[in-house]
Amino acid sequence: MSTTRKKVYGYLAEFKSASALYKAAEKVRDAGFSKWDCYSPYPIHGLDAAMGLKRSILPYMVFCGGMTGTTIAFLLAYTTQVVIYPTVVQSKPANFFTIPAFFPIMFELTILLSGFTTLFGLLALMKLPRLNHPLFASKQFERSTDDGFFIALEARDPKFSAQGTKDFLGEIGGASIELIEEEPA
Amino acid sequence: MAHHVTSHDIPVNGEHLDKSKIAKVKTIALAIMVLGGLLSMYLLFLAPAKQQGEFAYSWVFALFYFFTLALGGCFWTLLHNVSNSGWGTSVRRVMENVGSVFPWLSIFALPLACPQVQKYLFEWMKVHRDVIEHHHIGTGTLVIEWLSGAGNWVMNGFRYLTTGNTVPQGSAISEGLHHSNHLLFSKQWFMNLPFWYVRLALIFICLGYAINRLRKLSTAQDTDENPGTSNLFKARRASAAFLPILALTVTFAAYDWLIALDYTWFSTMYGVYIFAGSAINSMAVIIITVTLLRRAGYMKHVVTPEHFHIMGKLLFAFTVFWAYVTFSQFFLIWYANITEETKYFLIRNTGNWNIASIALVIMHFVLPFVVLLQQWLKKRPVLLSCVAAYMLLVHILDLYLIVIPERGISLGKIKPEVFGDISISIPGAWMGDILAFVTIGAGFLFFLLRALGQHALYPHRDPRILESANLSN
Repeated sequence: MSTTRKKVYGYLAEFKSASALYKAAEKVRDAGFSKWDCYSPYPIHGLDAAMGLKRSILPYMVFCGGMTGTTIAFLLAYTTQVVIYPTVVQSKPANFFTIPAFFPIMFELTILLSGFTTLFGLLALMKLPRLNHPLFASKQFERSTDDGFFIALEARDPKFSAQGTKDFLGEIGGASIELIEEEPA
Repeated sequence: MAHHVTSHDIPVNGEHLDKSKIAKVKTIALAIMVLGGLLSMYLLFLAPAKQQGEFAYSWVFALFYFFTLALGGCFWTLLHNVSNSGWGTSVRRVMENVGSVFPWLSIFALPLACPQVQKYLFEWMKVHRDVIEHHHIGTGTLVIEWLSGAGNWVMNGFRYLTTGNTVPQGSAISEGLHHSNHLLFSKQWFMNLPFWYVRLALIFICLGYAINRLRKLSTAQDTDENPGTSNLFKARRASAAFLPILALTVTFAAYDWLIALDYTWFSTMYGVYIFAGSAINSMAVIIITVTLLRRAGYMKHVVTPEHFHIMGKLLFAFTVFWAYVTFSQFFLIWYANITEETKYFLIRNTGNWNIASIALVIMHFVLPFVVLLQQWLKKRPVLLSCVAAYMLLVHILDLYLIVIPERGISLGKIKPEVFGDISISIPGAWMGDILAFVTIGAGFLFFLLRALGQHALYPHRDPRILESANLSN
């Protein structure tokens, strides 16, 4: 029998419906919690506002990614077709004014790098991929992909307390409140 | 998130525009339309030939500008119905009202039907009429030839489907064209006078009928004692049928009134190009109208920043679409480098037009693209309206570049002794452009305000109005 003390991840509470989850999220937000999340089988409109989430920085990353794509494509086309090996086709100039011919490449590479930045930036911001998550220890949490609506308040939140948080979750309508412990590493 | 809108927030009889508030603007618009109209009639029909010719182009430019706005109103109405949208039910009536101006624009299109104006605008018509005159083709012969030509046209359809061959219509005009202008001989099946007139009439009759029918279906809901979904389904079915009509309308209008200014030029992308501009700018008109109505205290419960966010997104989407289509057209012509195609862009890059062409790329695409990328901006009605007003301004530049560079060239070709040699622009002719723009613009405003005052400002008994009012995206 192991005597290792497990680290507490936080409390998990279930809510009856999407609207109950929405209203509870507003209360958690107003109580000033910062390390917590909602889990639902489908996206709920306006939940980000109810949770008080700030705008993601992803759009700015994607903008930079896209601009990088444009620049790379222009430099690639310009270097190969104007600097290294000037090609005169259909009496088109081989200088900066050949730029309309580069547009499709610039367009495509902008899209490509924007797409890459979106995908990989999203994964990085969500800290994915990861092998396991403490919430997976909970049996009831499996229903979050089916018909369960959950809120998890993490122990690393400064407002967290063993009894107070549990009572709070009960007050805002949470049921089946469960203490989640992390698997020993 | 704002307070949840329920049926208690929506007046039983709907919100109606207080007509006394707009009466003054409406009267002024009507007065400008009438005065400007009289002055325009003088310039088009009675003034010295030089003014007539110059002003004919001003008229086409101004007419087409407002034509695209009204046409876009029809497009958004059709799209809203056919896509079974719920978000826009609260702004749908504004779309319908913008679209309902469309049939009225036929008044301003009437001068285009007069040979007096056509002779300056459409060289191909002049060639046709010269052939008729030169070969002394009588009216009776003409009518019979046109009828048998139309019959042959239909028969050719069947022949083509069954045997893959077509038989040319031998007629006195074809014979004349064959000897004088082979290009117009080849294009005669499409570019002939009766067919042109039929298209001019159908453009207004078909889409005018479509938008009136949809608007009636929508306003009938307002007084319905037992509001249900039946009118929504009717509108949806009708819109599905009307969408191809809209596509044909915008294509034929663009081909008949704009491309035909130079019958030797052609571009298969042109209809889409005109449509893209029309979708952006009618959305801009809708955004500005809704913002002004909200400022005047209407639609407070049913239109939220979320609606402006969606409308801003559509504005953004069509700005990108416009750039995509416009560049595609330029790119293919630039790459292929075929003389008869490149002339369009050569004209528009000669002299100072070059500055305008490059400015169009930056002002019509780059700037609005970067500005409209911001989410917060799209949720602020007043800021979004400023961008919308800006888009309407650059749309002027867009259409100006389509029509006006043609003026100095065509007129110089028709009568050098009156208009001077072929030149890229005619000094002083811009005053006519402003007059025509203000006249038709006042007409557009008058008919839009009239439509807004006729019925409730939003379909308050529509089953989906609460869904729309509580929109979140």
